[in-house]
Amino acid sequence: MSASQRDVKTRIGSVKNIQKITRAMEMVAAARLRRAEQRIAALRPYAGAIRRMTQQAAEAAGSSEVSGLPILSEHDSENNVALLLVTGDRGLAGAFNSQIVRAGLRAGRDAESSGQGVRYSAVGRRGVSTLNFRDKDPDGRYVGFTDRPSYADARAIAEDLMAAYIDGKADRVEIFYNGYISPLTQEVRRETLLPLQQATILESDDEDEQDGDTKPSRALVDYEPDAKEILAKLVPDYVEISVYRALLESTASEHGARMTAMRNASENAGELIEDLTLEMNRARQAEITQEIMEVVAGAESLT
Amino acid sequence: MARTPFRVEVLTPEGLVFDDEVGMVSTRTEIGSIGIMARHQPLLGRVVPTELRLYKSESDIVRFAQGEGYVQVSEDGVLVLVEEAQTPGDLDVADLKEKLRKAEDDYAAAEENTEQQRRAGRDKRRWEAFLEIAEGA
Repeated sequence: MSASQRDVKTRIGSVKNIQKITRAMEMVAAARLRRAEQRIAALRPYAGAIRRMTQQAAEAAGSSEVSGLPILSEHDSENNVALLLVTGDRGLAGAFNSQIVRAGLRAGRDAESSGQGVRYSAVGRRGVSTLNFRDKDPDGRYVGFTDRPSYADARAIAEDLMAAYIDGKADRVEIFYNGYISPLTQEVRRETLLPLQQATILESDDEDEQDGDTKPSRALVDYEPDAKEILAKLVPDYVEISVYRALLESTASEHGARMTAMRNASENAGELIEDLTLEMNRARQAEITQEIMEVVAGAESLT
Repeated sequence: MARTPFRVEVLTPEGLVFDDEVGMVSTRTEIGSIGIMARHQPLLGRVVPTELRLYKSESDIVRFAQGEGYVQVSEDGVLVLVEEAQTPGDLDVADLKEKLRKAEDDYAAAEENTEQQRRAGRDKRRWEAFLEIAEGA
């Protein structure tokens, strides 16, 4: 075997190894994607129950109470904007992380050019390290859970953002995340978290209207402490749920994006292996032909 | 005396953790401890971190460490809606002590009468309650 054949053979070996890794990563991502989808589904009943309770409490407290809550009231001027970028802890997922960071930084530049102060926060090591690299010095750095975000993680983030809003450090809070549409499709979503829109709370969504049998009964209901106090706790829950849903969708999107990226990588590796095998066979055939020619030429010279 | 059973659901953002018939529910609202039995008056209450006890019978009690949330009593039964519900055996004392220490530090560091301080106060209360449950378990 000639030296060039041996080279090609080693390359085939290493490409095959890479293909094994990308295949394994694809399968792991597919399994995690399924789990992430289940977690999105598990949140729905809770969010629905919170919505029904809010409507009940708002009815009892009177709608004027709702608009008085600090996270619902808009600040007089928008001097400071807080941006939360939801990325993943790990890379190798195609454009998943970079498209969020790009959209967030663009929004930040737009706000700065209109004279507003911008504070960044990031979820996921990728986002945090990019912001650090760009000297943006993120306020909040939330890392280590993007594979499997818990509600407590979302609560910590939401409470930080709400505290910044209520204490006047930010006049508007926006979130950037990868919305999950299907395993193959994710889209960058930009949503305003704070001030919370009153319409979001008091309008019932379509899912609720379908099950008419859960209408609150008109019976006399006891409130502990009172409806107003309960409402004051329920409304911030919307922000927590929004953040939690964004984290879950981002996790599902990350696994979907990684699955697609790894499938493409495996396919590319397959093509590369085919090309290299062809090259190796050609080299081997050339060598054999060469040897036959030499034998024939040698035999001819003897006669 | 056997109690009339009624349906109780414990729902968290991460899914349904309990759905069964029980004789009594014991929890704590903003106002104080509360025991709910069958045919309780309709109620909507804000619950605070404590040990949630679901009495399937006098001796068979299901326990959870509950976070902040709500309890709703209606004709259909009782719905306990909490941010988290962990079985006491899953609690990690060392981890909780660490979290409590951090919440206390945050509380001390935060400026007086800010949302940041109230938030640290809530964290403190939660980890204190969980620690008590964990040490009792």
